[in-house]
Formats: sequence, C-alpha cells, structure tokens
Amino acid sequence: MFLKIAGSIIVLAGCTMFGYFLSSNLSERPAELRKLIGHFQMFENSICYLTELLYEAFGKISKTCDDAVTGIFKDTVSNLSNAEMPASLAWERAVKKNINRTSLIKEDESILISFGKMLGNSDLDGQLKNIRLTIGQLEIQVKKAEEKRKKSELMFRRLGILVGSAIVIILI
Amino acid sequence: MLTQDKFVKEKEHKRLYGEVLKYITREVSNIMTALDTERVNDIEEIRMRAGRPLMVQSYEGDWFVKKNGILSKKHDNAYVTSMENIQNTLELMSQSSIYAYQEELRMGYITLKGGHRVGITGKAVVNNKNIKTLKDISGLNIRIAREVKGCGRKILNYLVNRKAENDIFNTLIVSPPQCGKTTILRDLSRLLSNGFSSLKGLKVGIVDERAEIASCYNGIPQYDVGIRTDVIDCCPKVSGLEILIRSMSPHILVTDEIGDSGDFDAIIKTLNAGVKIITSAHGYNISELKSRDEVLKLIKSRVFERYVVLSNINGPGTVEEIVDGQDMKLIYRRIEDVS
Repeated sequence: MFLKIAGSIIVLAGCTMFGYFLSSNLSERPAELRKLIGHFQMFENSICYLTELLYEAFGKISKTCDDAVTGIFKDTVSNLSNAEMPASLAWERAVKKNINRTSLIKEDESILISFGKMLGNSDLDGQLKNIRLTIGQLEIQVKKAEEKRKKSELMFRRLGILVGSAIVIILI
Repeated sequence: MLTQDKFVKEKEHKRLYGEVLKYITREVSNIMTALDTERVNDIEEIRMRAGRPLMVQSYEGDWFVKKNGILSKKHDNAYVTSMENIQNTLELMSQSSIYAYQEELRMGYITLKGGHRVGITGKAVVNNKNIKTLKDISGLNIRIAREVKGCGRKILNYLVNRKAENDIFNTLIVSPPQCGKTTILRDLSRLLSNGFSSLKGLKVGIVDERAEIASCYNGIPQYDVGIRTDVIDCCPKVSGLEILIRSMSPHILVTDEIGDSGDFDAIIKTLNAGVKIITSAHGYNISELKSRDEVLKLIKSRVFERYVVLSNINGPGTVEEIVDGQDMKLIYRRIEDVS
C-alpha cells in the first residue's frame, strides 16, 4: 500500500512538472521579444545621440548580455569585420544562424530580416524610422505571444496534473 | 638606382595606397592591386564615375584603367565602373554607417582613416534651400594623402624674422590647385610647433575648415602637425580663428584658402591680438590675387610680410618665388633648368 502511494505521488509530481516545463517554454518568447525591443532602443540611442558607427553600436549591445538573441548583434559585427559584405547581408546571416537557438517563430524572423534591409544604408531619419517600425512590429508580436502564453500556459499546467492523475487512477 | 630617401618615400606611398584600397569594393580594388607598380607611386587620385571608365590621376595627367590593371591613354577596353561598385565602396568607407556621415555627405566629402579624402557627387536632396544630404551617389574621387615631411624647411628659412627672437612673418602661400599648398602648410605648422634649428617650438593653432590640413578622423589629426598644435576641425574660418585666439593663446594661426567675405576682418582681428598668421590662397601669381576683393584688401593693407608662390614645374611644391610683402621686392626666384 505504501509503495502504491509513493509511486502515484512520484508519477503525479513528474507529470505536473512536465506541464510546467512546457508552459515556461511559452513564456520565453515574449521575454526574448522584449529583449530585442530593448536592444533596438539602445541602437536608436547610440546612433541618434552618440552618433556611433554601426559596429560600435552593435558591439556595445552585444556586451549587455550573452544569449541567443544578443548573439544576432554579435555575429553581425563579426560578419562585417571578417568579410566585405553589406550590412544587410551580415545581419541576415546572423539572424539565420541564431534563430534556431531562440524560441522565436518564423513571423518574428521575417520582421528581423526586413529590418536588416535598410540597416546602415540610409540617413539618420531613415534609420530611425526603420528602427521604430521594427519596434512597433515587435510590440505587436509581444502582445500576441502574451495572449498565447496566457491561454496555453494554464492549459499545459492543468494538462500535466490531469494526465498525472489519470495515470495514477488507471494504475491503481 | 634607388637612393635611400627615394626608397623610403616609395615604400611609404605603397603603404598609403594599400590603405586606400581597403575601402574600395573588391571588384575594383583587385584591378587596382594589379596596377603597374612603377606608376602606382605617382597616383594622386582614383576616380570612379558610374557608367564611365575607371581612371587614375597623377600630376602628369590621367590614365584609363583596363580590367587587367594595365593603364592606357585610350578609353576603349577600360573597366567601366558600375553604380553598384560605387555604392559598395561607399558602404565600406562609411563602415556600413552612412547615417553617421550625413554631415560629411552634405559637404561632399568623407575623410578616411589615414587622412585620405574622398570627394562625393550625386543628387542633392534640398530642403529650404539647404542641402540636406546627397543621394544616388554616382561619383567618387579618392585622393591619396601625401605627407611630405621636410618640404617646408626650405621655405621656412625665408619666413623667420632674424631681427627678433622667435618671430615669424605673416605669410601668404599662393598656389594653383594640386601644387602642394596644403602639404606645405601642414609641414610648416609641424616644423614651427616642434621647433626648428635655432627656433624654439611655438604654439600653433590650425583652423581646418575643410579637414584638409590635419585631416582629423574622429577628432584625431591623421597627419603629424606638431606637438604644440591645436586643431579645430571642420570649423568656419571666422569663428575658428576667434575661438583659438580667445582660448588657446597661440603664437601662430594656420588656415587654408582665404578669400571668402569676412576673412579680412577675421585676419585683422588675429593680427590685433598679436598672433601671426600663415595662410594660403588659390592663384598662379600675386597679381592674379588682386582681382579678388577680400584678398586685395589684405594685400593693400600690407598684412602679409611674405608671399610664397608655388607651381608644379619640378613636381608639386616647387617654389617659384618668395616676395617681401612690405616693398614687394623679390627675395627668391627659382632658377630655370639650363637643360
């Protein structure tokens, strides 16, 4: 009897934790999107008030944290310094390289790539407009991601508990 | 046989040439590396015009460049520069940050690291009669910087007032384009600022209106302009002179290309403050200068004590004559080659 109780508690706890794990994955995407927005705001500030060059601004951003999202900025800088290529290509390659390490989806990726198309090759006004447009689009993505998270997070957690209890009931 | 001096000079020029090539798109820079090395030493300008042949210019004249790097005087078979070549070059020059060079684009040039200057033409975007920026950039003129240390030495002997200690004459350098007037101004300020034979080092202030004398890159002079030299970069002459007199207590002020309205007052103000001035003006000889109002006023009021006239007969920086500004007597004249 004691073994049965202990076993069912373990199964229940395991399933619940698995549910929580799935739901936490969902909350990562909005966090990453917010971080991207933060980076873009920093970029805007660097070029607008400090008149820094692209590689200086991106270099500074890539020093702020060490994760996949920031890796995009870091790789753009190294792409630019290693080979002669336009900034748009350097950015696109960096996005494609890092996107799989993040929980961002295809939609986010295409926003990032279209941001790169104008990167560095227009005057300040053009750059600022491009940055603000991208930030606006990312904010919409955050909203959508949050809604999805709210809905699915609860579902995954509950599903974890339910599946756990179902297994326990069946086994008993 | 190469003399040591010539060898050093050529090596230096090759280094500068290599420095410039880094900023040119690979397609074109590959051609430029294949160039005949004998000729490379003379190249002063690389010209890229969209849809037209790639050209190089030395003081002897210009050449068309073929795809295999051979120079020719005929333009058939020359490499035709594309719009894309120019855009990619510009992107390299601005380090993918065209937005950061807005002010420079508006003025029509970019200064590269190493002091090389790139002239830019394109379509002007005009807003309220002011040029906002240039777009559709279709022409680049890459001028390879030259620093000829010691070229001012010979002239400087004529500019020192032997009667007083540490006194320099107010000097106007008169020269047609591409005869080395900026190079000589730069060397004079270096010599005066570092000290030269019996002369103690003097405080020199440079008003670098077009970023040509010191060629600042991110605020740091790319040329050796001397240890006691202060540079105010990209500043209008009149306000630049005023700022330096007010705050940097210079002995000598150096500035380029006088002749705009307001220059007369600014220079008189400089002299009233007890500061000497060395400057330059476009022209082939002194009498030609008199056709320009602002310069004529300066000549009439006997502001300048020495006039130095340059030409490029024996290469850039040939001193044609040096004239005393007070009595207009000739002090030095180039002796014609007998051959």
